[in-house]
Amino acid sequence: MSIYWHLPILIVVVSIVYSATRFDNWGMIFHEAFRWGLRMSLFLFGIGFALYALSSLI
Amino acid sequence: MASTSPNSGNPSIPPVHLDFLAGLLSYLIPGLGQIKQGRVAKGVVFFVALYALFFYGWSLGQRKNVFLADSGDRGGLLSRLGNDLYYRPHFAGQFFIGIAAWPAVAQYINFDDKKDEGPIFGRMMRAPAADEINRLQREESKTWDLGWVYTVIAGVLNILVIYDAIAGPAFREVAIKDESSPATKTEAAAV
Repeated sequence: MSIYWHLPILIVVVSIVYSATRFDNWGMIFHEAFRWGLRMSLFLFGIGFALYALSSLI
Repeated sequence: MASTSPNSGNPSIPPVHLDFLAGLLSYLIPGLGQIKQGRVAKGVVFFVALYALFFYGWSLGQRKNVFLADSGDRGGLLSRLGNDLYYRPHFAGQFFIGIAAWPAVAQYINFDDKKDEGPIFGRMMRAPAADEINRLQREESKTWDLGWVYTVIAGVLNILVIYDAIAGPAFREVAIKDESSPATKTEAAAV
């Protein structure tokens, strides 16, 4: 199994825990967690895509 | 054990009451300080999330990636501890998950390289031999390394949880009295 399948738990836990330390209101916690999860996923996907593109082109 | 610190000068935000006992409880078991403060759901979320991440990472590493390495320095305890943390600093992060990482401390204190097991916890969180670490890194398809990264992240995240227990969330809700309406609404404010 690819190690990338282990990433979702990391993204979910980091998003929720970080957001829950910023707010006490659950609506704001989930809203912030979703935003952080999306940002981290896009960042990791972008890095992965750039490395894949580089390895394919060079 | 609670003390008060001044806020940033905004009169509408009540002063922060620092709760060091809750911080200690959240260090020992993630979320326990929040539960003691009555923020039970949040404490349970911290407990489940951080222990899930820590033990998931521990199991990814064949339960051999949480330990305090012994670099062979035989000086005093502090000198030895400093050198060993410099040699393998991972445990500086893992330590903050609380009592879940304490077996590694017990193994370190009682470490005897002539024996295969420690006196209390057996082989649990005992520093593996260099050959064993090499084998895990070579044969486990990077999951051993990914595992210790997860355990370190869980420990470091618990520092945020400890801070939340001591001083509350970074953005606190404050009651704002609307002049045009008798209803009171809440708004998040940075502290």
